[in-house]
Amino acid sequence: MAAVAQAPDMNANVQVKKKNSSAVWRIVRYALIRLLTLFITVVAGVFLTVMIANMGGYVDRIRMGDIQESVAMGLRGNPAYNALSAEERQKRLDAEIAIQAEAQGLNRPFMVRTFEFMQNAMTLNLGRALKMTSDSGSRQVQAIILERLPPTLLLFGSSNLLLFFAELFVALYLSRRYGSWLDKVFVTLAPVSTAPAWFFGIFLILIFAASLRILPFDGMVDAPVPNNLWDYSLSLLRHMVLPVMAVALNSIFLNIYSWRTFFLIYSSEDYVEMAKAKGLTSQDVERNYVLRPTLPTIITSLALMLIGIWTGYPILETVFNWPGLGRAFYQAIQFFDTPVIVGQTVIFAYLLAITVFLLDFVYALVDPRVRVSQ
Amino acid sequence: MAETELLRIEDLMLHFRTSQGAVQAVDGVNFELATNRAVVVLGESGCGKSSLAKAILRLLPRNVSRYSGKVFLDGKEVMALNDEKFRKDVRWVGISMVPQAAMNSLNPVMRVGDQVSEPAMIHLGMKKKEALGLASKMFQHVGVPVDFLDRYAFELSGGMRQRVAIAMALVTSPRLILLDEPTSALDVLTQANIFNVLKQIKQNLGISYILITHDIATSSELADDVAVMYAGQIVEVCDAERFFQAPQHPYSRKLMASVPRLRGEQEPEFITGQPPSLLALPQGCRFAPRCPLRFDRCRQDPPVIKKDGRLVKCWKYA
Repeated sequence: MAAVAQAPDMNANVQVKKKNSSAVWRIVRYALIRLLTLFITVVAGVFLTVMIANMGGYVDRIRMGDIQESVAMGLRGNPAYNALSAEERQKRLDAEIAIQAEAQGLNRPFMVRTFEFMQNAMTLNLGRALKMTSDSGSRQVQAIILERLPPTLLLFGSSNLLLFFAELFVALYLSRRYGSWLDKVFVTLAPVSTAPAWFFGIFLILIFAASLRILPFDGMVDAPVPNNLWDYSLSLLRHMVLPVMAVALNSIFLNIYSWRTFFLIYSSEDYVEMAKAKGLTSQDVERNYVLRPTLPTIITSLALMLIGIWTGYPILETVFNWPGLGRAFYQAIQFFDTPVIVGQTVIFAYLLAITVFLLDFVYALVDPRVRVSQ
Repeated sequence: MAETELLRIEDLMLHFRTSQGAVQAVDGVNFELATNRAVVVLGESGCGKSSLAKAILRLLPRNVSRYSGKVFLDGKEVMALNDEKFRKDVRWVGISMVPQAAMNSLNPVMRVGDQVSEPAMIHLGMKKKEALGLASKMFQHVGVPVDFLDRYAFELSGGMRQRVAIAMALVTSPRLILLDEPTSALDVLTQANIFNVLKQIKQNLGISYILITHDIATSSELADDVAVMYAGQIVEVCDAERFFQAPQHPYSRKLMASVPRLRGEQEPEFITGQPPSLLALPQGCRFAPRCPLRFDRCRQDPPVIKKDGRLVKCWKYA
């Protein structure tokens, strides 16, 4: 059978081949520009964090005050010091304070130190905490962060991952059953999730720990710490139940509602109807015609959720006394422990920048439309 | 040529529930279609044409309040089939479809070759490679370069996309293709091209068409029969030749008179008033409020009058 009419864009093939050779260069150039802009963003973010964490230099005055007080207290107990004349005493005090201030670098201008601080932070040279220590007694910010990371990953990493996929699954199911009673239940309950997780946490503690006394109030394991692995895990799990419930209550209804609406919109696309007309099974329709086109959105959401764990749940961890990153952050803010605040923020900024950078390439992998614009 | 019946629709109803009340989109449609014939369903926007296509393929939105009637395909009642059986035996095996806007009807993230070969894999049990081979054959039929199999919908022009949609409809060699305004989004030249493709396919493969359109001029290219739809009902059925010469139903006449002509003094006419809302249909003949020829009896629902192989739903011919 004769081809009915030839396509006008047959010679497009030649152009495609030419394009391929320059494609690598285009991608490299794109990546470099992207990295540069992201780096500038991170620098700006870190600068702001350093400024804010130091309260624009006010923290220096607090530290100066601390030094003055401790030096004065120290000298006052010294009989030799007390024997000096008032003038001599003042001189001695000033000299002592100056030494301490110099030791902490407070004698140099704030802006100069801000840029040094920034440079150290950007090179992940996180330095020493002012007041906080790790449980092993280290003042190294890195040690503090590394110590606090596993509990946060365990609690929020596992619960968020589990919740994310459960929410997607339920949302997809509800989008198929739009208007069913279960759908209506989730729509009605959606506003419940607007309350913060720590709010639920307080109530859960009241109900399950204080009244019913079936679950522990707070902490990560029982004290004394069980010494065999089985008991340890069991105790850990018991301590995880309430915080996980709080996180779940905080996210599940709203996320299911919004994902369900999202899927509902995408399953009324013309190509979804075509796929049904073609006689595809509903699983095939869902996989290839609803999930695949929406994959970039789902992946973005997953990636941002995962790095969001880094900033943790400061208040929730505090409510449950969970020794994670969030509580460390909360404590650092309370103590004006600038290096800890900056250290955590820098790592988050890097994680965010890297994720955004990688997401661009992931989009190109999963969505052919993005490839062109790159 | 001996004509065998391919499709018979009896009293097909499709009503939707909306906040304002029930929309009677398809309200008691009857018609028959023989093999290797093309019937054009003509009508204004909002008269229920597209809903008719959806009702035939059971592509129902969520707010259906009534879906009834009988559809016989090759003598087999398909309305009685359960959803799974309908999916396996009717969709794309018996009846396939070319949608109105092929841009939105192709999955943006799947290669068009995969989308075209998909039905062959599902319904004919082909392996992917075999199905892609078949798809490339279909591409040749409709005049799409074979290397376009690897492209995505957004890399194709509007005309090419529509050809791909036609190739997709052909791939399982169905008996009947529903064409839902297949060219209304295209320019005139591309329209003509597509209609040529459709004509050749009909000749070569012996396929039947139901062509749903409001474009009288281009549809006459393809039509063997014409069915005129008004407010959810078929008001006239006739073979194309006689219809285009002398339509009978007052609405058909007005519709034909509204087509501008190249030669002749006649000014194109228009039909006064709006088509009735499918929410609140007038009593009796649904066209009566706009009909220049209406008389007392039009207050009652007119019967379908059969004369010389033509059907017309009008009191004038009673």
